[in-house]
Amino acid sequence: MKATRLNLAPWLFLAPFLGIFCLFTVWPLLRSFILALQQTYGPGTTEWVGLHNFRYLLTDPLFWTAAANTGRFTLGSLFVQLPIALGLALLLNRPGLRGRGFFRLTFFAPSLVGLPFVAMLFAPILEKRTGLINATLHRLFPIWDPEFAWMQEYVMSSLILAALWMYAGFNMVYFLAALQNVSKDLIEAAEIDGANAWQRFRHVTLPEIAPIAGFVTLLSVIGSFQMFELSYILLNNTAGPENRGLTIMMYLYQSGFVVGDLGYASAIGWVLALTLMGIALFQRWAARRYEER
Amino acid sequence: MKLLRDQINRYLSPGALVILIIAIVAIIIAAVLPRRTAEGIPMWISAEPHFNAYKPFAQEWNRRHPDQPINLVLLHGTAMERRMLSGFMAGTPVADIIEPNIGVAAKAFAGPLESVGFLDLTDHLREEGLLETINGPSFAPYTSRGRIFGLPHDVHPVLLAYRADIVEAAGIDVSQIETWEDYFRVLRPLMVDTTGDGRPNRYLLEAWHTNPHAPSIILLQAGGRLIDENERPALNFPRNAEVLARLITWMAGPDRVCVDIETYSASGHRQRLEGLVIGSLVPDWMAGSWKRENPALGGKLKLMPIPAWEKGGRRTSVAGGTMLGFSRNTEHFETAWAFAKELYLSPVLAEQMFRDTNIITPVTALWDSPIFDQPDPFFSGQPSGRLYIEQAPHVPRRPSSPYVVSGLERFINALAALRRYADRNQIYEEAALRIEAQRLLDEAQVEFERFINRNVFLAQEP
Repeated sequence: MKATRLNLAPWLFLAPFLGIFCLFTVWPLLRSFILALQQTYGPGTTEWVGLHNFRYLLTDPLFWTAAANTGRFTLGSLFVQLPIALGLALLLNRPGLRGRGFFRLTFFAPSLVGLPFVAMLFAPILEKRTGLINATLHRLFPIWDPEFAWMQEYVMSSLILAALWMYAGFNMVYFLAALQNVSKDLIEAAEIDGANAWQRFRHVTLPEIAPIAGFVTLLSVIGSFQMFELSYILLNNTAGPENRGLTIMMYLYQSGFVVGDLGYASAIGWVLALTLMGIALFQRWAARRYEER
Repeated sequence: MKLLRDQINRYLSPGALVILIIAIVAIIIAAVLPRRTAEGIPMWISAEPHFNAYKPFAQEWNRRHPDQPINLVLLHGTAMERRMLSGFMAGTPVADIIEPNIGVAAKAFAGPLESVGFLDLTDHLREEGLLETINGPSFAPYTSRGRIFGLPHDVHPVLLAYRADIVEAAGIDVSQIETWEDYFRVLRPLMVDTTGDGRPNRYLLEAWHTNPHAPSIILLQAGGRLIDENERPALNFPRNAEVLARLITWMAGPDRVCVDIETYSASGHRQRLEGLVIGSLVPDWMAGSWKRENPALGGKLKLMPIPAWEKGGRRTSVAGGTMLGFSRNTEHFETAWAFAKELYLSPVLAEQMFRDTNIITPVTALWDSPIFDQPDPFFSGQPSGRLYIEQAPHVPRRPSSPYVVSGLERFINALAALRRYADRNQIYEEAALRIEAQRLLDEAQVEFERFINRNVFLAQEP
């Protein structure tokens, strides 16, 4: 009798959390999976289609266009945004730098405003003729074509640029925190051993900040895969010319709420979720391997 | 007091205390604030000019029918779309009377016919002779599988608005223009480089391969179609390929005559005012919004029928649209129907709507009203209402489909792909481009059909 009571106690304590978790997380997940196996026109009009939505997705050229665009944006985030964020952090971490707080706030400030604001800001900046970039470049260099179509020919580059402005400072803060925890003794020891600046960075700083770098990388990948508002607003509620700005999240939204095919949208959502889970597991596995080495 | 403070400090941190106080205050405010209760039969509207025009009518109706008042509710277009579709699909509360635009209305037709959330008006319209009273083509976008679900609010014919000040100063007579070919030939001398940078500072038509506004208008004018009479996709219709190919000869290459201007933004209005473009395709509603948003253009513009696609061809097109529908679950249909007819068939409202928004009524019997003959200072004293009405009977039919927006996206993507092909291969002749245009549209058609055929509900319909 006593043993039974002891076993029940943790469950009683966990009950409020489990209740809320099941109601607001497990149940919707289950429902969305069932939805992915149906075609619906509202809850009253449903048709069981089995795995048809998933099969269609595998051969849907628009889904693969969205996946390729999302991949490009993710690569842009990883190979442009993160190195710049790390570079800014290294600059601000230099001993004796004056106005460090001011620069930190300046670089971080864009991340306070939110993606819709960034999109609203960049839309006029990237416009033809009257946009800040084209107008300025044309004035400075008359050979520059004022009709240079940033948002038509260079959709993904423009999106990466806008995201860079917002997130470089945000990621910089993570890197800065990690750099400030790098042991000064190790750096000094390497310096005494004759290591140059690159060798100190490569063999001392980088291994020390690797866990944070891994975490920031994972956050960037997840954030990039979930990118929606930026392209939605910047491209004026469209996917851009020839769907060049179509991302997976945007395609999910279009399928569910523009076309009204909630079953297919659910299938896209599940594929996205499983992809992100796979990436997170890979990141954990890679991080563990790195630590073991 | 001290005891109480000690007790609070013992159990709650300052942060938790702040959260608790905020929660209590929020609960009190939520409980005390009076709930907004809507009185009367709700009618959802998403166009603010319509809402403003209907307000006095609703007030007058409510004065005469205190037991059956109408409650006008202005909603953002997206909010109305979501609430309407949720109501139709999931049974959440929905207004008895709804005024959606053409794109939103069509989404209600995606399910089986018996699940369409709007009430079928076909028999009412036929019995009361409204099919003859209202301009015929205006019903088409609100008809699904032979049944009519909406009362059309408008016709939305399109005319060409051109910079009369610039054209007339150059001594050009536009009356000699019949086709697009004439238009570009006659106005070509106006494309000048005033800044010496090797680029023209003026173009002849506002149209671009990434902006669906002008291409969709020209497609319909030319007799092209995205959806056929049987509500099936028709992207690869041969006339569509002809339109794609000719549009690219206008938009690209050494003889380019079109310019890309944002349709609704402030910068777009500024560039129109600066004379970057001579001509724009302007439906009646857009003429109204230009008057409100860019009044400085007043007196500089004139209207003319759209140059024909080919000699003897149609001189107008159509863009946009709004309908009035009724929830199939309404318990007040008789009242709602009576109000709707009074509103949409009213000569007073038709005149007021034209004065406020430049939109002409679809009720053909009202087209003789003298208000449409009044000189319009914005269009250099032309009677803009009469010019739109002259073209109203000729607007092309637009068969409805819940996939019309997806079809237009695919058409515009084919146009963009053709532009890329033309630039890459330096091909700017219509005949040569037409082959590639047809290939792109054939490809898009296969994919579009496959996409639509996924809908098991439409596939089950006879």
